[in-house]
Amino acid sequence: MKIVLEQLLNGLTIGSFYALIALGYSMVYGVMKLINFAHGDLFALGSYLGYTLLVFGSTYATVTFGIWGGMIAAMLVAAIGIGIAGTLIERIAYRPIYSVGRLPAVVSALGASIVIQNGIMVVWGPRPQAYTSQVVPSVMLNIGGIKITLMQIVVLVISFILMGLLFYIVQKTTFGAAIRACALDRSTAALMGINIETIIFFIFALGPALGGMAGVMVGMYYRKISFTMGWNYGLKAFTATILGGIGNIPGAMIGGLLLGILEMLGSVYISTAYKDVFVFLILILVLIFRPTGLLGEKVAEKV
Amino acid sequence: MKLNKNIKQKNSISKNWLIIVVAILFIILPFIINAYWVDVLFFFGIYALLGLSLNIVLGEVGLFDLGHMGFMAIGAYTTAILNTIFGIPIIVLLPISAIAAGAFAWLVCSPIIHLRGDYLCIVTIGMGEIVRLTLNNNPFGITGGSNGVYGIDFPSLGSIFVIDNSTKFYYYIWLIVGLTIVGLVNLQRSRIGRAWNCIREDEIAAESTGIDVRYYKLLAFVLGAGLAGVAGNVYATKLMIVSPESFSFMESCMLFCIVLIGGMGSIPGVLIGAAAISLFPEVFRAFAQYRMLIFGAAMVIMMIFRPGGIWPRKRGALKLESLLTKAGEENG
Amino acid sequence: MKRIKFLLVVSVLVLALGIASLGVMAADKLPVVIGLQGPITGPYAVEGEMTKQCVEIAAQMINEKGGILDGRMIEIRVADDACQPKAGALAAMKLITQKDVVAAIQTYGSFVVLPASDIYEKFEKVNIAYGATITDLTERGLKYFFRTCGRTDTQAAFFADKVVPFFDAKKIAIMNNNTSFSVGLAEETREALKSKIDAGEVEIVYFDAINPEETDFTVPLTKLRETNPDVFYYTGHFPEAGLIIRQAREIGIEATFIGGDAVVNEDFINIAGIEYAKGVYQTQEALIEYFTNPEAMAFKEAYKAKYGTLPSSPWSVYAADALCVLAEAIDKTGSTDSDDIADYLRNKMDKFPSITGPIGFDEIGDRVGSSINLYVVNEDGSSSICDTK
Repeated sequence: MKIVLEQLLNGLTIGSFYALIALGYSMVYGVMKLINFAHGDLFALGSYLGYTLLVFGSTYATVTFGIWGGMIAAMLVAAIGIGIAGTLIERIAYRPIYSVGRLPAVVSALGASIVIQNGIMVVWGPRPQAYTSQVVPSVMLNIGGIKITLMQIVVLVISFILMGLLFYIVQKTTFGAAIRACALDRSTAALMGINIETIIFFIFALGPALGGMAGVMVGMYYRKISFTMGWNYGLKAFTATILGGIGNIPGAMIGGLLLGILEMLGSVYISTAYKDVFVFLILILVLIFRPTGLLGEKVAEKV
Repeated sequence: MKLNKNIKQKNSISKNWLIIVVAILFIILPFIINAYWVDVLFFFGIYALLGLSLNIVLGEVGLFDLGHMGFMAIGAYTTAILNTIFGIPIIVLLPISAIAAGAFAWLVCSPIIHLRGDYLCIVTIGMGEIVRLTLNNNPFGITGGSNGVYGIDFPSLGSIFVIDNSTKFYYYIWLIVGLTIVGLVNLQRSRIGRAWNCIREDEIAAESTGIDVRYYKLLAFVLGAGLAGVAGNVYATKLMIVSPESFSFMESCMLFCIVLIGGMGSIPGVLIGAAAISLFPEVFRAFAQYRMLIFGAAMVIMMIFRPGGIWPRKRGALKLESLLTKAGEENG
Repeated sequence: MKRIKFLLVVSVLVLALGIASLGVMAADKLPVVIGLQGPITGPYAVEGEMTKQCVEIAAQMINEKGGILDGRMIEIRVADDACQPKAGALAAMKLITQKDVVAAIQTYGSFVVLPASDIYEKFEKVNIAYGATITDLTERGLKYFFRTCGRTDTQAAFFADKVVPFFDAKKIAIMNNNTSFSVGLAEETREALKSKIDAGEVEIVYFDAINPEETDFTVPLTKLRETNPDVFYYTGHFPEAGLIIRQAREIGIEATFIGGDAVVNEDFINIAGIEYAKGVYQTQEALIEYFTNPEAMAFKEAYKAKYGTLPSSPWSVYAADALCVLAEAIDKTGSTDSDDIADYLRNKMDKFPSITGPIGFDEIGDRVGSSINLYVVNEDGSSSICDTK
C-alpha cells in the first residue's frame, strides 16, 4: 500500500510538470488554432534562465535571500523572461502567417523550436548543466513510512497552486470568459467587443511563463538540464493536451496528471522499457472512441 | 486560336529543355565531384523519395502526417531482418518492403482515418514513436534493440550488376526517384489525383459529390507508406545498418518541412525542399554550431515570405476556348 | 522567370560542390594525416573533447621527437559523429574520401563503431577503435579493425569473479539503458554469474532497462528498492547515471552503487553532485592516474601542461594509444599502405610500450594486455583503486 502511494506521488509529480507545460499548448491552440511547437523549448529556456540566475550569478540570489528566496527569484525571472520570449516569438514567427493557413504555421513553429534549442546550445554549450546542490533544498522526509523528498512536496504544492490560479482565472473571471469566447469563435468575439490583441498577448505571455516556471522546478527537482530537454517534455505535454481535449484548459491539467500516472502504471506493471508505447497506445484508443479527447466537446462542423 | 497554339508549344519546348538540362547535369555529376558529395547527393535522393511519398498524404490529400518515418522504418527493418536471417536478396526485398509498409499503414490507419486534422497529427506522431520504441526494445530478439541490425547486403542482379559503391548507389536511387516521379505525375492527372485534391480542399463537398473519402484517404496512406518502404529498403542497403534513431520524430518533422517548404502537392517543389533539407546542413558545415540555428531561422523566414513553398503547385486550368476546340474536333 | 531561377539555383549548387571537392582533392601535402572520428558535439561531447585533446597531445609529442617516416609530421583530421550511427557512417565516408588520410581512429560508442568499421573495412582503411567494448566487434572477421580498449566479457567476468566476493553480495540488481553496449554488458554479467546463481550463492533480484532520454527514474528505482539488493550494478552511460544515483539515494536505496565502464567521469560527478558521487564504485579499465611507466608520465605531464587536469575517462587515453600504435606501425613498415600497417599491427607488434602499458594485438584485433579494476570515487572527485584480490 505504501509503495502504491509512493508511486502515485511519483506519477503525480511528473504529471504536474506535464500539466503545466500542456496548459501553454492548450491556451494557444484554443484561441489561435495553432500548435506552438516552440513551447517545449521555451520551457527548456526557462530552466536555463533559472540556472543562470542561481548558479552563474555566483549564487547571489541564494546568498542574499536564502535557498527558498533564491528559488522564488529564479521562478519569477523565468516567468517574466519566458513570457516576454513567448510574445516575441508570436510577433516574429506567427503573426505574419496567420492569414495564410495552418500548415505553414507548423513549419514556422518547428523552425522557431530549432532556433531556440540551438540558441540555448550556442549560449550555454552542448554539455548538460546541473543545478548545484547549494541552490536546491535536498531534505528527505519520512511521512508515515512513505519516503518523500521535500522538493517533491514543494513541486506538487506550487504546481497545484498555479493550476488552481489559472483555472480560477479562466473559468470564473470575466477575462477568462473572454478567453473562452475567443476559443469558441474568434470573429464573433471580436464583434462582441473583446479586444483580441489583449487576449493574444495574454495567452502567449502566460502560457510560456507557466512553462518557464515549470522549467525552473524541473531544474531544481532533477538538477540536470540539457538543451534537448524541451523536445522530450514538449512531446509528452502535447500528448497530454490532446488526451485532455485540445483547447480545453481544465482538460490540459487533467491530461497532464493522467499522463504522469499512466506512465507510472506502465512502468510498474508492464515494463519500464515499454512504458511510452503503452502511453501512446492508450492515447490512440482514447482518440478512437472519443475523438475530441477526454474533456473535449464535439463541435459540429459548419458546411 | 493559332496564337494560343504557338504559345502553348513554346512553353512546352522550354519546359522540355529544362528537364533535359537538369537530367544531363544529374547524370554527369558523379564524375565531377568526389565520393563524399556523391554520398550526400545519394541522401538527397532518399529524402526526395521520402518527400514524394509524404507528398501523397500531406500534399495531395492534406492529411496531417507527422509519423511518416515509421513506415520507412518498417520497410528498412523488413529488408534488414529478412536479408540477414534468411539471406533473401535485396532486389527481391524491394517490393516486399513496400508491401510490408503499405500493409502496416492499412492496418493502423483504418481505425483512425476519420480523425480530424490535429488529432490525426498526434496519432501519427504516436504511431511513429510506437514503431521506433518497439524496434528499440528488441521484441523477440529480432530487431537488435538500439544497436539495430547490421551486415545487410548490397542489391545485386546476379553477380554482374552489384551496386556496391557510392556512384552506383547514386544512380540507383535517382533511377527509382525518376520512375516514382513519372508514376506520381500520372497519378496527379488521373481521377484519383483529382479526388485527392478535392478531399484536401473541402472534405464535405467531396463526400457529397460521391467520392468515397475513406477509401481515397486510406489509398493515399498505403501508397505513401509503400514508397517510404522502398526508401527504407535502399537506405538500409546503403548504410549496411539500420537503427531506431534514424527514424525519430525529428526526422518526420523534417519530411513535413520538405513538403511544405518545397510546395504542397508540387513535385518539383518537393525535390527542391528535399535538396534544401539535405544539402543545407552539409553546405553550411563550416558554421559549426550555428548551422542548425541558421537552418531554423531560414525555415521561419521561408514561411513568412513564401508560405506557398518555393515552387508551389500550379493548377492547370483548362481554358474554355480549348475545351470548345476539343469538342469541335471530336464532333468532326 | 521561375525556370531561370531554378536553373540558377542548380548551377550555384553544382559550382559550390565542385569548388568544395576541388579544395579537398588538391590536398597532397607532406604530413601523415590520421583521421580521428569522435562525438565532438552532442550529449557525449565531453568524451569527444577529451579524446581530441589526448590525440593531439600524443601527436605533438611524436612530432616534437622528429615525426615519423623521415621527418614527416603527424596531422590529425577530426570528423564529428555526435555518437550516432548514421552520422558515424557519413563521418567515416568523409575521412575515407580524403585521399591523404592514411588510417583512422574511431570512435566512442559501440553502436557507432559497428557501421563505421564495416565502411572502413570495405574501403580497406585501417581503423582502431578506442571506446567500443562490445564483444561482437572483433568476432566478425574484419581485417582492418583493431581496438585498444577492452571487451565487455572481460569486464563481466571481473564483476562476477572479483567484485561480487569483494562486497560479499548475495542479491544483485542490474539495470541497463537499452543501448547495445549496456544490454551486452548486463547480459554478459548475468552469464558470468550463472555458475554462482546455480550454486545458490547469489541471486539477481532486478534486471530491467530504462530509457536514457528520460529524467525521472523514481518509478523503476522504487521498484528496484523493493527487491532489497546488496549491490546495484548500472551498466549504462554517464549522462543519465548522474540522475540515477541521486534519485536512488533520495528514495532510500542504500545498496552499494557500482557503475560499468561508461558511468564515471567529470560530467557524472557534476550532474550527481559530489555528495552523491563519492562512494560510487566502478568497474573500469585502467585510469591514467595510476600509470607510472615513462610513456604515461611524459603524456600526463604534457597534457597537464596544456589543459591543467588529467582526462577523466580511459577512452580518450586509448585513442592516444591508438595514435602511438599507428605512428609506430607506419614508421616501422616505412609505408602508409593499409595492408602493411594491418599486418604489422596484427603480427609484428608485440608489447609496444605505450601510454597505458604494453600493447599488442591478437588474431582478431583485440588488444593484448589490458586490465580491469575496481575504483571508488573520493571526496574530491578523483578515483582510487580498490584491492580486489
